[in-house]
Amino acid sequence: MPEEKTRVDFNAPASIVERADNVAELLDISRTRLLIDALQDELDELINEEGFRAHLRDAYYDERIDFQTVKSVLGQEEAMRMNLLRASIDREPPEPQLKAELPTDEKFYDGEVPVWQSEEAADNEDVESSA
Amino acid sequence: MADRPISVVDTNVLLNLATPVVDGRPAAPTGADPLKALLVTYNVHVPASVVGELSMATGSDDLLSAAAKLVLNASHHLTTHDVDAKIDEPLDYGLDQGESDGIWLANDLEAALFITDEFNSTNYLFVSLALDDRNTLFTTPHVLCKFASQGIIPPEYVDAALSYYGDTKQWDEQYLNRLRHKYLRD
Repeated sequence: MPEEKTRVDFNAPASIVERADNVAELLDISRTRLLIDALQDELDELINEEGFRAHLRDAYYDERIDFQTVKSVLGQEEAMRMNLLRASIDREPPEPQLKAELPTDEKFYDGEVPVWQSEEAADNEDVESSA
Repeated sequence: MADRPISVVDTNVLLNLATPVVDGRPAAPTGADPLKALLVTYNVHVPASVVGELSMATGSDDLLSAAAKLVLNASHHLTTHDVDAKIDEPLDYGLDQGESDGIWLANDLEAALFITDEFNSTNYLFVSLALDDRNTLFTTPHVLCKFASQGIIPPEYVDAALSYYGDTKQWDEQYLNRLRHKYLRD
């Protein structure tokens, strides 16, 4: 069953409309078809842009946009994930219990605490320590 | 020590907690030990498959390997359970063995927390669905924020650690900011 359609009226700069009409004629498609395709491409591109997704997450966590909006843009699964994650922020983890201070490394770790450095950083440190 | 809340964690959580401790680069936060904080203040249980996954992660000279070594050095603070033998139908939501076993264990022990860092992907949905009590589901940054608010780890360290994870693991920056706002800024 074809999706229900909504009529959209908008004003656009005449030069853009003229260019669109020329391209549509060349491709032998309707102006409407060209506009829908262009809009679809633009939305697809935006949705995959990290900056836009970050913007959307911010708006959702701040409750500026609702679940349906996130769902319509990012899809059901992503909207559900964000919904669960947002709800989890309001939960308090059970109280951690600490009787005194945390134990020393010697007492706690059965063995040494390994330290990793990238080779680059290790080289730089050698230079610094010998300077 | 019986009053420490029972917590079940997956392999990635242990590795993520150990990573800033073993990372000697200047960008890594220093001055606290989130792995030690977790293992001392909670009663941490893991399926045996997690220890297996940790052992598999050692053996090279990279950061992950160093983190795995640190967790193994602290493994006597973990309670391990042989889950494989008990599970009837493995949870099959595209989660790996350690995660599936962990969820099963959390349900079986009626754990107060199940900690996972699978919150950047739809796996978070599957973990939520598979847990008997979704309210026990937490993430490493969330637990670290709790430690800060309880005075177990300095808030400055947790703040720096969240930035470190955001930069190195591409964790949802907006989620981290919400946690910061709730626990570190108020």
